[in-house]
Amino acid sequence: MAAAGSGGSAGCFPGPYPTPSGEEKNQDERQGGQCLLNGMDLLKDVTESKRFLPTGLQGIDALLGGGLRQGQLTELTGQSSSGKTQVCLCSASHVAARQLGHVMYLDTSNSFSPSRIARIVDGFPFSLVKLPKNVRLERVMTSIVCKSVFDIFDLFEVLHQLELSLKNKVKCGNSNICLLIIDSISALLAPINGGKYPRGRSMMMSVAMLLKKLADEHNLSVLVTNHMVAGNGAPKPALGESWKTVPHVRLAISRARGSNICTATVLKHTLLASGRVMKFPVPS
Amino acid sequence: MEIADLPISTSHRAKLLAAGYSSLAALSAASPTRLARDLSIEIQEAEDILKVAVGANKSKGVDGLSTSSVIKGAQNAWDMLSDEQSRKHINTGSADLNNILGGGIHCKEVTEIGGVPGIGKTQLGIQLAINVQIPVEYGGLGGKAVYIDTEGSFMAERVYQIAEGCISDILEYFPYCHDKALSGQERLKPESFLADIYYFRICSYTEQIAVINYLEKFLQEHKDVRIVIIDSVTFHFRQDFDDMALRTRVLSGLSLKLMKLAKAYNLAVVLLNQVTTKFTEGSFQLTLALGDSWSHSCTNRLILYWNGNERYAYLDKSPSLPVASAPYAVTVKGVRDTVSSNNSKRVRFLGMLSGANWAPIFEH
Repeated sequence: MAAAGSGGSAGCFPGPYPTPSGEEKNQDERQGGQCLLNGMDLLKDVTESKRFLPTGLQGIDALLGGGLRQGQLTELTGQSSSGKTQVCLCSASHVAARQLGHVMYLDTSNSFSPSRIARIVDGFPFSLVKLPKNVRLERVMTSIVCKSVFDIFDLFEVLHQLELSLKNKVKCGNSNICLLIIDSISALLAPINGGKYPRGRSMMMSVAMLLKKLADEHNLSVLVTNHMVAGNGAPKPALGESWKTVPHVRLAISRARGSNICTATVLKHTLLASGRVMKFPVPS
Repeated sequence: MEIADLPISTSHRAKLLAAGYSSLAALSAASPTRLARDLSIEIQEAEDILKVAVGANKSKGVDGLSTSSVIKGAQNAWDMLSDEQSRKHINTGSADLNNILGGGIHCKEVTEIGGVPGIGKTQLGIQLAINVQIPVEYGGLGGKAVYIDTEGSFMAERVYQIAEGCISDILEYFPYCHDKALSGQERLKPESFLADIYYFRICSYTEQIAVINYLEKFLQEHKDVRIVIIDSVTFHFRQDFDDMALRTRVLSGLSLKLMKLAKAYNLAVVLLNQVTTKFTEGSFQLTLALGDSWSHSCTNRLILYWNGNERYAYLDKSPSLPVASAPYAVTVKGVRDTVSSNNSKRVRFLGMLSGANWAPIFEH
């Protein structure tokens, strides 16, 4: 058994669970439930392959302990025009610029703006992408892939396709998709959610499960944006109580009208204390 | 690779498996007609499936994060950038306004324009319906307009006036070409501008929902429509809707449909909205109507307001442009720059009007 020497062999229970030949250590994914992990393996997996993808916005990176974590679902919530889309566009360009992987951007409100991305990339310091300006722009922008999605069924279709493509490509060892952005998920869910019929809610939960599965199995970082709706008194994130449990990290963004300083607040975080607040400027 | 791993739609996959196609080998042996019959789908779809299957057989192990292979219909940002840069914008009539909008109203986006009664929402709507028709050789889009009127405020006489104003400005800027291009002259009549506005009069929210659903079919038959204006999106939904949660759902559904149309048919959607007062932080403030959820459902948001005696427009929301405001005026000719700055900016307005195409015309 190839893995025997490496202490990590304890990760597989002997007996009813057949140990696949040695290579499962390299493939780091727990495929098909053939192999249960213990805490040490998990820790190793987390420290080795669950990277923090920087958003390029210092305030947010500081709040999230480095950025958007792979394997996790991060939610941005905020009122209209608070800067959610800007954070999405910034993260996409930053992750692509650092060549951490490809970015898949699902756009529901025609707000994916290539010219904005070009401007953000142009503003990056030379040290970030050591290439001449025209080359790096093309390089960065070709690794951001965008698809418009206009209803929930489209979204299911796209996510299933993505899952299939990821499954087939994991073995090729190419530069893979590492960040999936959905801006905004609540625009798709709002028309079906609520009312007398439970169907909308169950579709919402299927989307949630699918996203988390993708995040976990293919080591994606998933970033979704959510609306704010008027609650009793203060505005609160949309989609209700059952969606609240879905994201690993929930971040609220607000911006005073006319200013370009955003305020981010951690509403929920799996590792770090919530309630912390940071201010950050939106890049011009 | 198995059938289950083929990048085809879930329903097709289910049908394949149900019809007993369990392996790729079995699938590749089938002919399109047989497959179509077995799965009871169109032949075209069957051919598509076979194509995918053949492709999957070939591409095994071949590197590929080429964009289209990951998800059908996806585009990378680089291609989208060049597409975006080649796109023309719809002139609003005022250079200052065009400036803060990044050249005018953008196609493939939904723009919401709101403001107090009498500020000029409908005027701007009519102006856009006229300006979208400026022929390509005069730097316009040469498209047609769909005007969905819910309030009954579309005045044909006024439209005629604005069309005349638009034409006189074009002729003033292109003094040489109207005597040579007779065919162009033919089109530069207010009558033909009016004839190319498709007008729908809506009298209830049911009709509004219906017409938006019907638009898809209408636009398929009229591919040269470049702008859809709804004046206003609010009226009926403010009048006779009691269930607010239902209203939110219906409206967000409508907005997604309009987004889809804007993208699919490369047109601008302009939604006019009314204002309402909202109690925030101890005081009443004016905001656009239809509530917080609705405020998320447009790509751009432009708020018109009075600043003393001047009309101003404030770009409140845009994914690509900074927040900004600019003055504008409503004149006999339509929406124009404010009078005080008229002289210096007249040239700029016409410069924008001309776009990229004026140079060859001027050679004569």
